[in-house]
Amino acid sequence: MSTKIGIYICECGPNIADNINIDEVIERISSSEDYKNKQLIIKPYKLLCSNEGKEYLEKEIKDNELTHLVIAACSPRDHEITFINICKKTKLNPYLYKMVNIREQCAWMIPDKKKATEKAISYIKAAINRVLHQSVLIEKQLDSNPNVLVIGGGITGMETALSLASKQRRVYLVEKNSILGGNAQSFKNLLPRQENNTDLVAKKITAIQENENIEVFTDSKLENAVGFFGNFEVTVKSTKKDQTANEFVVGAIVLATGFALMPTEKLKKHAYGKDDNVYTALEIEQMMKAKGKIVLKSGKEPKSVGLIHCVGREDRGYCSRICCNYMLKIISYLKDQSDTILIKDFYKDLCLPHKYDQEYFDTMAKKKVDFIRISDITTKKTHITYTEVNGSKKEADLDMIILAPAMVPAEGTEELAELLNVPLHPTKFFQEAHSQLNPIGTSLEGIYIAGGCHGPQGISESVLQAKAVQGKIVTQLIPGEKIIPEVKVSEIIPDFCMGCQTCREVCCYGAITFDPERGICVVNEAICRGCGNCVGSCPSGAIRAKHFTTIQIHQEMKEAIS
Amino acid sequence: MSNSNNVLIIGAGIAGMQASLMLAKAGKKVVLVEKLPIIGGNTIKNEESFPNLECSTCMVAPVQQDVLQNDNIEVMTLSEVKAVNGQVGNFTVTINKKARYVSLTECIGCGACYEPCPVSLQNEWEENLGKKKAIYVPCDGSLPNVPAINSGHCLRLSGKKSCNACAEACMFGAINFSDKDEQVKIEVGAIIIATGFDLYGGKLLSAFGYGTLPNVYTSMEFERLYASNGPTSGELLLRKGKKLPDSVAIVHCIGRKELGYCSGVCCMYSFKYAHFIKDKLPEATVYNIYSDICVPNKSYQSFYNKIKDSNSTFIFQSAPDIVQIAGNNGKLQVKLTAGKGSKNSLNVDMVILSCALVPAKTSKELADILGIERDRKGFFQTRKGYIGTVQTSVDGIFTVGCAEGPKDIEDSVIQAESAVGEVFSLLG
Repeated sequence: MSTKIGIYICECGPNIADNINIDEVIERISSSEDYKNKQLIIKPYKLLCSNEGKEYLEKEIKDNELTHLVIAACSPRDHEITFINICKKTKLNPYLYKMVNIREQCAWMIPDKKKATEKAISYIKAAINRVLHQSVLIEKQLDSNPNVLVIGGGITGMETALSLASKQRRVYLVEKNSILGGNAQSFKNLLPRQENNTDLVAKKITAIQENENIEVFTDSKLENAVGFFGNFEVTVKSTKKDQTANEFVVGAIVLATGFALMPTEKLKKHAYGKDDNVYTALEIEQMMKAKGKIVLKSGKEPKSVGLIHCVGREDRGYCSRICCNYMLKIISYLKDQSDTILIKDFYKDLCLPHKYDQEYFDTMAKKKVDFIRISDITTKKTHITYTEVNGSKKEADLDMIILAPAMVPAEGTEELAELLNVPLHPTKFFQEAHSQLNPIGTSLEGIYIAGGCHGPQGISESVLQAKAVQGKIVTQLIPGEKIIPEVKVSEIIPDFCMGCQTCREVCCYGAITFDPERGICVVNEAICRGCGNCVGSCPSGAIRAKHFTTIQIHQEMKEAIS
Repeated sequence: MSNSNNVLIIGAGIAGMQASLMLAKAGKKVVLVEKLPIIGGNTIKNEESFPNLECSTCMVAPVQQDVLQNDNIEVMTLSEVKAVNGQVGNFTVTINKKARYVSLTECIGCGACYEPCPVSLQNEWEENLGKKKAIYVPCDGSLPNVPAINSGHCLRLSGKKSCNACAEACMFGAINFSDKDEQVKIEVGAIIIATGFDLYGGKLLSAFGYGTLPNVYTSMEFERLYASNGPTSGELLLRKGKKLPDSVAIVHCIGRKELGYCSGVCCMYSFKYAHFIKDKLPEATVYNIYSDICVPNKSYQSFYNKIKDSNSTFIFQSAPDIVQIAGNNGKLQVKLTAGKGSKNSLNVDMVILSCALVPAKTSKELADILGIERDRKGFFQTRKGYIGTVQTSVDGIFTVGCAEGPKDIEDSVIQAESAVGEVFSLLG
């Protein structure tokens, strides 16, 4: 079929027609020497986006057997999709179509009609040049596996598994420890706004065990994962000796590996490890759960306790969000234990971001607790020297000190990030794809993050994130439905590739692999999103971005800026 | 459940839009009801959003376009839910759809109708910092880019005069003076409430001179003052004096004590303002007057550190409401309670009150219509005894974003996504 380009110029009522001489545009383009060997059909229309306009365009494409289409009209933001849909309806490959904005960028911008007309002509010619060099691209459809791998068997991982498992979707839950439950099983009580859920962890474990669509691997870790959204081949291996590896295919991977407290050697300046009666808040929770009360090393109940907030906040470079709240919870444990206990609570800022947090603080503040705002604090055994915010220096001797250390990503987070090629945030938690528009996705499609490995947060937030992951997966990975990967992807021309692997370093999606046999890099088209990073980085010009090839851009630019 | 494929979402802010798109992608039919003539919510009022200072319009406009162009989403602007009957799986919802008087299909958004309209009104969407006509879009870049006519003020529709100016200017016959309010009934399986927040504007604001001292601004006013599509095209021109400020005091925590909660976002947006001011006016002095720094996200402390270290003086006050503001020879005097290292008073050109987020005005009425509980602060209450849920006291009705409590965009979107998860758990 010979090339036949249809160029349709929308008058947009008077919006374009008033300030662009459309007759001149048509005359100049049809008489241009540049296209003397080409078949051009160039016509104006009063309003192409109207229903009549769309029908007209459909008929034109069919009647004239057009092979390429250029629409000169408004902003692609307004009607790119309108015309793509017409292409699809008339079986004209949408990648052989180009929209030119002669309204916002010409008619509305340039008061001088002559100049506006000139600019419109050059833009339309640029589009014709480009469209002639565009190639047919065809969407692929890939089968997808609906099953999900969840890494981490804490509250978040269990919630994710329970919310996703169904007859159509199997969930594999991998936990590095020998039991499920994660950090939350240490807590005696939850925060008051989380109400009576002391058996939360136990209930979830039972529900997991009873769910035949969930397969649990304890004492296990992810050994390997290759593939892409809809088709990840994963290997899960037991950390115990002589166990065989389990290999299976999943469509999505959820990282729910949780948090740890900052390493204890960093707590030394607060006398942790130097005095037996200096504890972390988590140890107090564990003590409460085991013994039902808070006692000194000697077994006696403390008469005075100092609580120190924000330990490690400056070092780590972030606030852990929940420490102020759980310190209040510890105060309530202590006050329940002894009404007369002396409590000094040393804080720099109160972080009470939930709608009920302030009330909780106000309740505790009424219980004869010294809340002391400090600018500095040092601890020598259980002797505390501190500077109040007004500058006065003071000291205190206390029986027990409880620290609120910063929450950090659980051990193994970095290795997992490296294994899966998931980027880390500067704080070393996993990095989300976009903090506002895609807060639980990662830059790798089909890999999600939730709970303590996403950033410091409490149980409520973690469960919400688990359900958000559910929302993402049930709407993106639908059992029985095919996945349509990006079409405008990169391709590496084998003859030009030197195998330097620069492209692998700049690829944010892990779409490029090195083929050692051929000594060249290869793009996995199912993973590539067409960002073009690799194209720019390739020193030998071996990489081409489909639909944004050098020749397409060159042809377009040379006309647009001539 | 016969209507399990249909979902109603109330409020077309970032949370409502994201939930709509996800549900639509999975084949659900979504009705998205918005009381304003445009979609986008509060997020589009920001020039840039924290912590990455990303252009809000650039971030949200593609989302708005996706919503408007999605075949599975029916957007009803100028609409409010008036009645809900039935139960999970089978709700019958009555929606009042106000007349727009401009056809959404015929209008192409050229804007030719604004100029000839003889009526000038305060633009409340612009926090009354700018004007609009009786036929208007709230700001440049509004989506849908189709104006609405304010029938109470339009000379013709209010019966004052037989004006035809906009209709004459319209080249597409898009103006329809005989448009009528309608009542629409729809059937849905589940409902998501995403009605967002209002800014605190209680009596406390007048105690800070707001309303009497013109150069005292609320945070949302400042947001619009800085916006490039706002009433001053982004120039920080003071209300009084029409000049640029040399010094600005940002007072945090306005309303916290009275309301009994911290909104969790004001510190961050205050830091953003400090950055905005220094960016446009590098010589200006900026004071952040705070009582607690609340930066509850892994990315927030580093933003705070940057502001603290580079461009702003931080002054601690044990409670923000002890700050007093008075006029002083054309300046604003900010009286502080002295502690070591802080001055007794500051003379500044401009004061920004970093106000708390409060429940949207419509919350009470909507709670009554839906038969759901609100919490003691007036936000919608999630189900008691459940952790991390967005389910309300009624099965099949969910609440997300700031409708549930003050929060940032990230947490609002996470709730929206989790509501989608819960809708699927419930309806399949």
